[in-house]
Amino acid sequence: MNTVIEAHGLEKRYGRVRALDGLDLSVDAGEVHGFLGPNGAGKSTTILVLLGLARASGGNATVFGQDPWNDAVELHKRIAYVPGDVSLWPNLSGGEAIDLLSRLRGGTDDKAAYAERKARLIEVFQLDPSKKGRSYSKGNRQKVALVAAFASPADVYILDEPTSGLDPLMEGVFNQEIRRAASLGSTILLSSHILSEVEQLCDRVTIIRAGKTVETGTLAELRHLTRTEVSFARNGLTEADIARIPSVHDLALVNGRARFTVDSDKISSLLPALTELDVKGLRVAPPSLEELFLRHYGDELNPAEASLARSPSRKARRREAAKVASLR
Amino acid sequence: MNTLVTLLLQRIRRDRLQLLIWIFGIALLALFSVSAVEKTYGDPAGRQNILQLAVANPSILMLRGTPEGGGLDQFVFFEIFTFIAVLAGLMNTFLSVRHSRAEEESGRAELLAATPAGRTLPTVATIVFGALVNVVNGLFVALAFIAGGLDAKGSFVAGCATAAVGLTFLAVGLFAAQLMRTSRGANGVAAAAVTAAYVIRGIGDALGTPSADHLHMTVAWWSWISPIGWGQQTLAYDANTLTPLLLNLALTAAFLSLVFVLQAQRDSGASLLAGRLGRVAARNSLSSSLGLAWRLQWPTVVGWCVGSAFGGLLTGSLAHAVAGAATADPTVEKVMEGLIPGGTGSLVQLFISAIFVMVGVLAAACATQVIIRMRQEEVAGTAEQVLATRVSRARWLIGYLTVGTVSIVLVLLSGAAASGLSAVAVGDTSARIGDSFAAAAAQLPAALLYLSVLALVFVALPGWTVGLGWTLLGLGTVFGLFGGLVGMPEWIRDISPFTHSPVPIGTSTDWSGGVWMLCIAVVVAILATVGMKRRELNTA
Ligand SMILES: Nc1ncnc2c1ncn2[C@@H]1O[C@H](COP(=O)(O)OP(=O)(O)O)[C@@H](O)[C@H]1O
Ligand SMILES: [Mg+2]
Repeated sequence: MNTVIEAHGLEKRYGRVRALDGLDLSVDAGEVHGFLGPNGAGKSTTILVLLGLARASGGNATVFGQDPWNDAVELHKRIAYVPGDVSLWPNLSGGEAIDLLSRLRGGTDDKAAYAERKARLIEVFQLDPSKKGRSYSKGNRQKVALVAAFASPADVYILDEPTSGLDPLMEGVFNQEIRRAASLGSTILLSSHILSEVEQLCDRVTIIRAGKTVETGTLAELRHLTRTEVSFARNGLTEADIARIPSVHDLALVNGRARFTVDSDKISSLLPALTELDVKGLRVAPPSLEELFLRHYGDELNPAEASLARSPSRKARRREAAKVASLR
Repeated sequence: MNTLVTLLLQRIRRDRLQLLIWIFGIALLALFSVSAVEKTYGDPAGRQNILQLAVANPSILMLRGTPEGGGLDQFVFFEIFTFIAVLAGLMNTFLSVRHSRAEEESGRAELLAATPAGRTLPTVATIVFGALVNVVNGLFVALAFIAGGLDAKGSFVAGCATAAVGLTFLAVGLFAAQLMRTSRGANGVAAAAVTAAYVIRGIGDALGTPSADHLHMTVAWWSWISPIGWGQQTLAYDANTLTPLLLNLALTAAFLSLVFVLQAQRDSGASLLAGRLGRVAARNSLSSSLGLAWRLQWPTVVGWCVGSAFGGLLTGSLAHAVAGAATADPTVEKVMEGLIPGGTGSLVQLFISAIFVMVGVLAAACATQVIIRMRQEEVAGTAEQVLATRVSRARWLIGYLTVGTVSIVLVLLSGAAASGLSAVAVGDTSARIGDSFAAAAAQLPAALLYLSVLALVFVALPGWTVGLGWTLLGLGTVFGLFGGLVGMPEWIRDISPFTHSPVPIGTSTDWSGGVWMLCIAVVVAILATVGMKRRELNTA
């Protein structure tokens, strides 16, 4: 199978910050690839390197076998990109921004087909294209960028946390569009810091932390990572009670509260046993990446990393800079 | 009552620094204009000469106002009152929009409306606060004139006129806030109202009829439909009448009643005029990064062109007056020669060149803003989306350089056209048109140099673009334009590009400075483009 995106030992330093520290990534043609990591792990930085907007300090990366830094324009003809935090031009309407980006991408050559795609996407995403950029909410700005991305066909879609501002209904629409693009043979790199979000869409995922790849594989291979966490309370709970529940992993009993994990597709088989036990305070939650790191890599994020994870996002820094600039 | 005091204190705390700057700035302008008039036109005969020229020159009347007597006090009022009124007006529109529409837009007003303060009380607090601010501002203007040695009674009248004009625009600002959905829109409408008031009284003043002694004027009816015009008609230091200010108060009351009626009828956050909607699809011109750069920048360019046209208008019509003044007063010639070193032409040509150096500064400022816009695009993250398409970094930069060059040419052209036409309009020979265009062309290289140097700064030191951009322009202006007047050493003046702009006068124009700057500008622009190919996106 062809590899579309390939990165080996990728490094990127910003002064003394190591945003990427030997990252590996491999995305095959036609797959939907989840790119996971907690905030500050280096997802956006990787994407900027893949787009040739940032230059790697070490290691190498290729897209379609070409060097993204040197062949950026050539590559961009085949790539559609949605940034993590979309900014729009305050004076341009959403419709104008969509047209502009599509034209710059070269996706409007067939005018009729483009108009049809645009109209359909605006409809399904329930976007008002006549509003000015400055009056859109975060979610709506994201929709503008998504419509612009899907309105012109691309070989690769690179989407940086595309659902972070969308409500659940729109996430459903988004998932549909991803499937549609995938069914047309496009390759999709989808970054997120929420595991369950990419779980339903992705063929394979790569999990990174502190600029390094920690896991990569198909979802089946990573099944052990994606188990749902179940916890509940019941007076006089014993190990024997729980032994009657099928397919339990990682069991812990603390202060009369049971906590364990279950393969996500086996949740329903759990329910009769839980009813029989008459449990209280039942909580069923998909695992968060943070918990996952806690569970599988045996450690808390060390303090330095934790502070990195909390350090202001690219956008927040940008906002600061914009403020400073406007003050001058 | 308690709540009102709380709201009032909150407004004072929030605005104190900003308003101090405004009020001190306006008072300083008043004080400064007294000393400037004293220095330049201290001698009564010279003053009368100038006034007699002024009443015959519509563009001076339009810009300043109508003279009402030949004394020093009246001359100061004639020269500076309309400017003070415009500043007071703008201070008030910004103030009222800041405390009304901007609050609503941010959602803070809704928080307040849910407290005992309700919906009307904040507006009342803003009005009371604004009234206080205007009283203080009027007082400062009066004190500044008195400190400058002008008649106390007239100064009091001038202060009252300033306060009354300010108050009217406070109400106008609050009304605009009811109309528009965004604070930007409200500020725009209100500032346009101030400008309109200034222009309308300008028309009335320009169309006025001079008295027999050529020291007074009866204004045309236009001046009587402008709040700033009413302020002028107090005839401070002359007739000293406060009655026209009743018109200001009446208009204020009318606007404020409208505000309360509208506010009671609408939802919080809504507006009389719906937010302006945009096009659903982009025009064909918006299909390249060049098209985008132009689309983002053209309103600003138009603004600079209008400024430059104003300058040109002044030049053309004043050149005539200058020739007359110079024969009467040899110091004028001295000042001119200080402005333009090494010129050999006639005084009028020197004058045109001197003013066009300022038009050149406007063109360079316009170019500076184009590059700053590029930086803003990068910081905001919109550039990232453009550069993730087929647009290469170099092409993106070239787009902005192109827009910058076009803007410079447009600013210079509008100055030249306005100057040439106004010269012919006041009866100068049509040769003035040629002089104007030559003077404008001479400014092209310096402005282009600013454009390309700042582009290189953007490439090499992106974080410095905004700060360095304005600093370079400011230093160049001070060194180049005023260095000669205050006797700066030659080598400091030589740092400024404007010093090297050719002075196209007479037969022996030395264009070499311009040619050199043009060559440097091209080389620097190429360096910037090459550098951009190797530069990462920098958002920090
Ligand atoms: N331009 C920059 N300058 C300095 N540090 C940066 C810059 N961009 C990213 N970083 C740092 O690199 C790390 C990775 O950031 P990022 O790629 O945005 O993470 P993610 O997208 O996974 O949340 C963070 O610690 C961040 O603070
Ligand atoms: Mg990110």
